[in-house]
Amino acid sequence: MRRTALEPDPSDLATSRGHESSYPVLEASSLRLQFGSTTVLSDLTVAIPRGQITALIGPTGSGKSTLLRTLNRMNDRVKGFSHDGDVLLEGESIFGRNVNLMLLRRRIGMLFQRPNPFPMSIGDNVVAGVRAHRIAPRKQHRAIVEARLKEVGLWDSVSGRLADSPFRLSGGQQQLLCLARALAVGPDMLLLDEPTSSLDPGSVETVEALLRKLVPALTLVVVTHNLAQARRIAEQTMFLFGGRLVEFGPTAQLFESPNEPETMRYVTGRIG
Amino acid sequence: MTVTCSEHPASLQGRPAMRRKVADAAALAAGYVALAMIAVPTIWVVAGVLQRAVPGWSWGVLTHTGAAGAGGLENEILGSLVLTAGTLVLAGGVGVLAGIYLAEYATGPAGAVLRGASEVLAGIPSIVLGYVGYLALVVALHWSFSLAAGLVTLAVMTVPYVMKSTEVALRQVPSAYREGAEALGFSPLQALRRISLRTALPGIVTGILVALAISVGETAPLLYTAGFTSANPSAALVHRPIAFLTYAIWTFYNQPSKSAVQLSFDAALILLVIVLLLIVVGRVIVSLSERHAETR
Repeated sequence: MRRTALEPDPSDLATSRGHESSYPVLEASSLRLQFGSTTVLSDLTVAIPRGQITALIGPTGSGKSTLLRTLNRMNDRVKGFSHDGDVLLEGESIFGRNVNLMLLRRRIGMLFQRPNPFPMSIGDNVVAGVRAHRIAPRKQHRAIVEARLKEVGLWDSVSGRLADSPFRLSGGQQQLLCLARALAVGPDMLLLDEPTSSLDPGSVETVEALLRKLVPALTLVVVTHNLAQARRIAEQTMFLFGGRLVEFGPTAQLFESPNEPETMRYVTGRIG
Repeated sequence: MTVTCSEHPASLQGRPAMRRKVADAAALAAGYVALAMIAVPTIWVVAGVLQRAVPGWSWGVLTHTGAAGAGGLENEILGSLVLTAGTLVLAGGVGVLAGIYLAEYATGPAGAVLRGASEVLAGIPSIVLGYVGYLALVVALHWSFSLAAGLVTLAVMTVPYVMKSTEVALRQVPSAYREGAEALGFSPLQALRRISLRTALPGIVTGILVALAISVGETAPLLYTAGFTSANPSAALVHRPIAFLTYAIWTFYNQPSKSAVQLSFDAALILLVIVLLLIVVGRVIVSLSERHAETR
């Protein structure tokens, strides 16, 4: 798999470490996130395992989305946002002074709660990122469009109308298109912010099945309010509550025999 | 505190209250009156111009130059087109860039100052701008009556419209598009160019159209800055006056000869056609750029 250092300097830790599956792809250490003087999340030290799906659960306001959006630095331009501590991608700080945000986001893609295709044709949507990063010459775009749409299972239904507006597609199809667009730039990791909460049950199933197919090639972090979804798709689950990480472990264990009383109360529906 | 609701009637049968019916009818009537107030003068003007221009129309006015109510209108037509094209470049360029600055970058006092200044500028009567243009460009800079003096004056006059519409259109771009572009690793400039400006294009084009329609129909500032000539426009930016259609309408109509009055109506007709073409071109651009839009 392609690895591009975030910084031009090749002497970063990542190269000396190798990329065996035993090493986490992303690590947060003593991370504290705040908006103005309000601390959203504090003292977070966690390692996201490679090639698995990690679910982020917790009640509204527990900092799940804020954490997720910190991992590809989408909070940078949010007014009042500040952080302490560090996040390492393959051992390299994502907050480093010379980090190229474009490269960071090419390696860590994102899917949003509501599908957000761009106002351009379906085909152009798929290669929007490919164009922005100049990944492939124009004459290969068509092939990329086909490959990515096939990958997400949209090809058969849209192959005849690649020049059409994406807004005529159903919500589920739009989300798949956004996934194809994110995959087209060849990320190592995808951050998904409640990716199915605005979709109908049939589409939820399609998207979930697709996400399962993306691992272990990719590492996924999924914020979800749907506990059943976390149990269905995630190997690891992280429970955030009251501005801190309460528990992180294999999904089955966290749901069936959690170590912390709060986790127990949350997964059994007594708080939340 | 207890809140009590009036009891609902036991039956669904019943006629809407008289008051609601009257209000409904009044609103509808007000709508029709408003429509009529827009449509009637428009039709009146177009019909009036057609009625007076068409009977004596000769295609020769398009291909002959002239002055003082004799000959043709070629010099005025070309002059107006050059002035309009120049406004498109000058006011369009400056206005769009300023609008981008206001929508995307301006924070704090700089933006407020620019916004305030542009509102004041938009409120200055065009004849005052013309006179200022005359004093500053024609006299002080020794440009004489010229294309440059006319253009700069028109551009100063129309930039606020382009700027405002660009800013508003950019602010209406859904944040989901920007976030999507950002998350995909677009640079800020790429996000602006490929996503925001593209989405805002209909609004920007509309603003530019308004600016062009104003500039092609403006007389007062040009009387002070462009001057008038019976010759076709040349490449000279300064020291050579340039003709324009509204001058013909304004001046020839007051001349005694019948041919001069005819030319004045011909000029009005041509002006109407130019404005109409501008609107059509704008509509085409808007509909092309909206073919993938979310709200269609």
